[in-house]
Amino acid sequence: MTLQEAQPITALLDPETVQSIADEIWPTLVGDGEAFVPVPVAPPAEVVSAWVTITGPWNGAVVLTCAPATAGALAESVLMTRPPTVVDDEDVADALGELANVLGGNIKSVLPGPSSLGLPQIGSAPATGRLDDVCRVNGQWRGQSLTITVQGATEALHPSGTEVPQ
Amino acid sequence: MRALVIDDSRAMRRIVGSILKDFGFEVREAGDGQQALDALQEGKAEGWVPDLCCIDWNMPVMDGLQFVVAVRANPELRQVTLMMVTTESETGRIVKALAAGAHEYLIKPFTADALRDKLALLGLLPEEVSA
Repeated sequence: MTLQEAQPITALLDPETVQSIADEIWPTLVGDGEAFVPVPVAPPAEVVSAWVTITGPWNGAVVLTCAPATAGALAESVLMTRPPTVVDDEDVADALGELANVLGGNIKSVLPGPSSLGLPQIGSAPATGRLDDVCRVNGQWRGQSLTITVQGATEALHPSGTEVPQ
Repeated sequence: MRALVIDDSRAMRRIVGSILKDFGFEVREAGDGQQALDALQEGKAEGWVPDLCCIDWNMPVMDGLQFVVAVRANPELRQVTLMMVTTESETGRIVKALAAGAHEYLIKPFTADALRDKLALLGLLPEEVSA
């Protein structure tokens, strides 16, 4: 199936489904009582993204975007670190990548299959293509902006990302 | 009890390992299937054979399914219990992993209770934890 023939993500997935998946992931992976709240706040000036690609009847990526400081706080929460333990850059990339991976895997499960999931990547988010091939939930975690974007593939899906180091 | 946690995410290795340690397991880690096979080989030399391997599916170098196939092809590792711990939740994937020789399948995200329930099903929990 070519990109032109594939159904856009908006025909396959709605923001409520993305939210319900995040509702399941946040308390189990980020921590007890934690939630991704679908109420947008002002976007940060500087952002970092982690994403995984989905390849199958629908091709694209699931992208998690937030400020670097929010990524650091997410990593601390995922890793359950307490001061004076400090997470390093690799921990942050790894934790954000794993969040994107779990989001991506669960979103893949509600899309037409069979599909395969790529390994997590981190960097500047891939460019979005067709407007109708983007499903985005702008929200917040602990009052900080966080965006989950499910976006169709463009010709250059991985312009500036690097695979999350092990 | 001994466990080998195989995941390319350090965060996930830490999370799974931490829960298993709470259940009394001695835990080692590997970042992909090939590293895990190497760890099994090294462990064998020192008499350390895991009772359980928790295995992610999508990993670089050697993925979880390839690892399951490799372990099942080795008669010396017949007693090792293999549990997939992965975001892959499609029925076809689960069937494929079980057909290849995995004993159990746990979908991410999961709670400590869900992992405990799987271990209880597999008979891998000490009585004081099962109670």
